[in-house]
Amino acid sequence: MATRTIGSGQVGRSVPRLEGAAKVTGRADYVHNIRLPKMLVGKIFRSTVAHGRIKSLNVSAAKALPGVYRVVTIDDIKTVIPNPFYGPAFHDQPILADGKVHFVGEPVAVVLATDPHIAEEAASLIEVDYEELPAVFDEVEAMTSKAVVHDELKPAGTFPDLKHLKGKKDTNIALDFHLRRGDPNKAFAAADHVFEHTFRSQQVLHVPLEPFVSAAELTETGLTIHTASQSPSFVRIEISRLLGWPENKVRVKVPYLGGGFGAKLYIKLEALVAALTLLVRRPVKISLTMEEQFYTLTKHAATFRIKSAVKNGKITGRDCEVWWNGGAYADIGPRITQKSGFTAPGPYDIDNVSIDSYSLYTNLTPAGALRGFGIPQLVWAYESHTDMMARALRLDPIEFRRNNILRDGRAQATGTQMKDAAVEQVLDRLALRMNWTAPFERGTGPVKKGRGIAVGFKASISPTTSIAIVNVAADGSVTLYCSTVDMGQGSDTANAQFVAEVLNVPAESVKVVHPDTDVTPYDMATLGSRSLYHMGNAVRLAAEDAKAKLSALAREVGVPEGSNVPVAELFQKKYKMQAGNIIGTGSYIPNYVPPDANGLTPEATPFWMVGGTGAEVEVDTETGHVRVTKMISVADVGRPVNPRIVETQLSGAATMQFGFTMQEKIELDGGQITNASFADYKIPSIVDIPRDMQNEAVESEQGTGPFGAKGVGESGTFGVSPAIANAIEDACGVRLTELPLTAEKVYRALREAQGRPLED
Amino acid sequence: MTPFELAEPKTLKEAVALLDADDPTIRPIAGGTALMLMMKAGVFRPSKLVSLSAIKDMSSIETVNGELKVGATTPLAVLERSDVVRKHAGVIIKTLRTLSNIRVRNVATVGGALAHADPHMDLPPVLIALGARVVVQGKSGERAIPVADLFAGYFETVLVKDELISSLIVPAQNGRRAAYLKCTTRAVHDWPALGVAVSVAADGNAIKDASIVVSAATEKPGRLVGAEKAAQGTVDDAGWRRAGEAAAEEAELITDGQGSAAYKKELVRVYVARALRAALGAQ
Ligand SMILES: Cc1cc2nc3c(=O)[nH]c(=O)nc-3n(C[C@H](O)[C@H](O)[C@H](O)COP(=O)(O)OP(=O)(O)OC[C@H]3O[C@@H](n4cnc5c(N)ncnc54)[C@H](O)[C@@H]3O)c2cc1C
Repeated sequence: MATRTIGSGQVGRSVPRLEGAAKVTGRADYVHNIRLPKMLVGKIFRSTVAHGRIKSLNVSAAKALPGVYRVVTIDDIKTVIPNPFYGPAFHDQPILADGKVHFVGEPVAVVLATDPHIAEEAASLIEVDYEELPAVFDEVEAMTSKAVVHDELKPAGTFPDLKHLKGKKDTNIALDFHLRRGDPNKAFAAADHVFEHTFRSQQVLHVPLEPFVSAAELTETGLTIHTASQSPSFVRIEISRLLGWPENKVRVKVPYLGGGFGAKLYIKLEALVAALTLLVRRPVKISLTMEEQFYTLTKHAATFRIKSAVKNGKITGRDCEVWWNGGAYADIGPRITQKSGFTAPGPYDIDNVSIDSYSLYTNLTPAGALRGFGIPQLVWAYESHTDMMARALRLDPIEFRRNNILRDGRAQATGTQMKDAAVEQVLDRLALRMNWTAPFERGTGPVKKGRGIAVGFKASISPTTSIAIVNVAADGSVTLYCSTVDMGQGSDTANAQFVAEVLNVPAESVKVVHPDTDVTPYDMATLGSRSLYHMGNAVRLAAEDAKAKLSALAREVGVPEGSNVPVAELFQKKYKMQAGNIIGTGSYIPNYVPPDANGLTPEATPFWMVGGTGAEVEVDTETGHVRVTKMISVADVGRPVNPRIVETQLSGAATMQFGFTMQEKIELDGGQITNASFADYKIPSIVDIPRDMQNEAVESEQGTGPFGAKGVGESGTFGVSPAIANAIEDACGVRLTELPLTAEKVYRALREAQGRPLED
Repeated sequence: MTPFELAEPKTLKEAVALLDADDPTIRPIAGGTALMLMMKAGVFRPSKLVSLSAIKDMSSIETVNGELKVGATTPLAVLERSDVVRKHAGVIIKTLRTLSNIRVRNVATVGGALAHADPHMDLPPVLIALGARVVVQGKSGERAIPVADLFAGYFETVLVKDELISSLIVPAQNGRRAAYLKCTTRAVHDWPALGVAVSVAADGNAIKDASIVVSAATEKPGRLVGAEKAAQGTVDDAGWRRAGEAAAEEAELITDGQGSAAYKKELVRVYVARALRAALGAQ
């Protein structure tokens, strides 16, 4: 990717990752490596039923095992945290099961010991007697099912749009978002063609190579939590709330993360280790196994029914109904339902729109954010649907899109205007790179070739806040304090580049202090591709503040404007020795207007992310095997701050979504996960991914972003699934509407199309 | 994992003596690639493991009277790089390249690959097609078992708990041509959803005699006699497809996480024909 630097030459340069050397030489800090004096380790005993009342819980054999320090249940937890329920949207999740279990794998008790093998052995000796209750697993069934996951809804109270759900009974709906714009009924009545399809995406897993891990210890002044978390500030606030303590008694420290992808947000193990530490007055650490990830957080399975009215090649009306499978606890699901829900009609200019988006409780592992925050599930549906319409209307899929896309200045479904959103450029570049207008070789024999494209967009979750501090030492060296978590995405490097650009120093010389809530200021969280934009703006403002203060210092000590006296000399002149600091601060919160009763708002998002994918495939029509031979990712990332990192973010996101498209799926049998191991749940390896992968950031500039930049962590995921499904239909004429696109599904569809369906 | 005893005998006899026909918590361990996973998952809790790695003379590769003889603790990666093996039955080397990854192959052994008896394995069908046998050491002496008769069922062999596989013997192939096709359905690198191994005696493309083995999609690897008959005398694609049809009719397929029985039947149909074509080197 090309280098486009500005000003000091720091932004736009492919600065090698600041932590690269420490990581490859094994010196980087991870929570996994923490050993605290007198530390106990905890092993979680988990539920084996999907929905049940705990009739009895017998921990005596576990307690009796030599080496066991203590076995803890919810009754013990309540002695230190009387109301032990947490969650960002609902206070629905207990620290350990409280009378009932709501999914297979829910934590029921914890064994503490110094030896993890003893803790594990003891956990296997715990016995529970359940009264099994009716359970619901499917998101559409959950709308009307007799099985109800929670006796009563408990919204957290922080979100106005959840208030009406407080105390509600006999429902699984954790949020219903509705948007009405124009008159869809009229559009459908006047249409030349009406198309309606339903798509489903499956439950999948984040699979960071570092599983969840947290440790807690008591200190003289309170409690310190060391945790692999993407949201240290949230952890501090939520733990303070649970304990009824002031924020400053809770310290949350986060070193590097071995991947996060949205799994390590809000509270995961932090409340548990905090409670355990308070109970036993010794440090406690819990490290989950790879397999336990299956019982912690997943991506939402979703069903999306989409219906469109077309007149003269223009989409004139669209009706979207989306059901999100939230699992047993809401986590951030309700936010996905709304903040992503409002983009369900896609990046198309449609006057008449109706959206109904539902967040549902089911008796499955809770679902939360996963690289795209619901967007890949939506794009999967609307871009498959778009292709199916183009095909039925005998229109070129790129031309059909061009006729309908949202251009800058036009209002999106919410009424918010599109600005700095390069949808058309992404489409153009895709067409060019795919050589779309040239003849395409279709293959010979049983192997057929095809190609497809798809484009999607995303709003940034809003409003959220970031604060940053820039500290210039007396020798001129610069340190940045911020709570953005570097989990492999390169945020330390990008933030250092922003500071360096403003203060005209090499990015490599800027030190970035990792999140420590005693030291680094508030940040909403590292999620949803928000950090480069929000924290980037805060960091830029903090650096500019420091710069202004340096200029003031220069004036104060009598150095003329614009002179090149080194910073160290300014300090020397003022303090008569190497002493002092300059502290610059910056805080950023974008404008936001909450949606009205119709879901409409002029200010839904501070910026738009746009991502498109082109895919070429070969389908073995005798077996259904699909090989994706080429995958092109094109995105609008604003100005690339670090072209090399932008490229790896695009290819990384595309690869991840490729796995969700072609192979990954949590297999369920009555609420039991039947492939909860990485021998059976297959993430892509180097031999699975397309040999030819290309990535491009289009020429673009985000006016409100730091130096014209915006987030890039998710854009590469948007188009992958529908682009491949579109290519499969192009190759062999069959359409799949359910992910993943396995060989067996393709084969069955082929047989179906031949009028001789495969019989079981 | 809970504590267990680890024995490291120096001879095969000592190893056999440490085993107990009636105690399923005592087991031999070779590469440990399968056993350790079972222990971590808690499905196997040993009281004692008898490691085979210190036993001398159990990892050689040689030809004896025209037959290939491979010690049971030979790591798969050593087999894969052996010129003796390449000359004797190149199909074994090609098969190994599709078997898991180099990290596993560096550690997993020939004996483990046979005794584990997970049907989703690549070497057993190939060895059956090649007419191989294993030499087994028990308390009362040695016996030979054709690999075709080694498997009793899903994760089960005919070995008694105090018997050890000491070596594998692959007879001279006398110009027979062989191929193995591995079909995976969840990822490119995976345990096979279907494995098809064939060995043919042929005159050009005219098959005089074929050995056709399917595995992974079935409860245990085994020959398809009907398909072998159908293959006899075939000379072209149409004939090989007929053999595929016969195989699809004959094989008893199971549904699992890698696919439905109905789908695997179609895979057998296609892969048997393709395997015959590959063995003959036809286009
Ligand atoms: C991630 C992964 C992927 C894999 N993929 C494949 C694949 O695609 N195809 C494939 O074929 N294999 C594959 N394997 C290898 C296979 O599943 C087994 O793990 C391997 O063959 C076992 O060999 P080992 O020497 O490690 O046996 P061990 O784990 O030591 O033992 C396995 C079993 O054999 C017994 N045993 C071992 N040696 C002897 C002996 N000499 N006599 C009697 N009993 C004995 C043990 O008691 C135990 O019951 C894979 C393994 C892993 C870990």
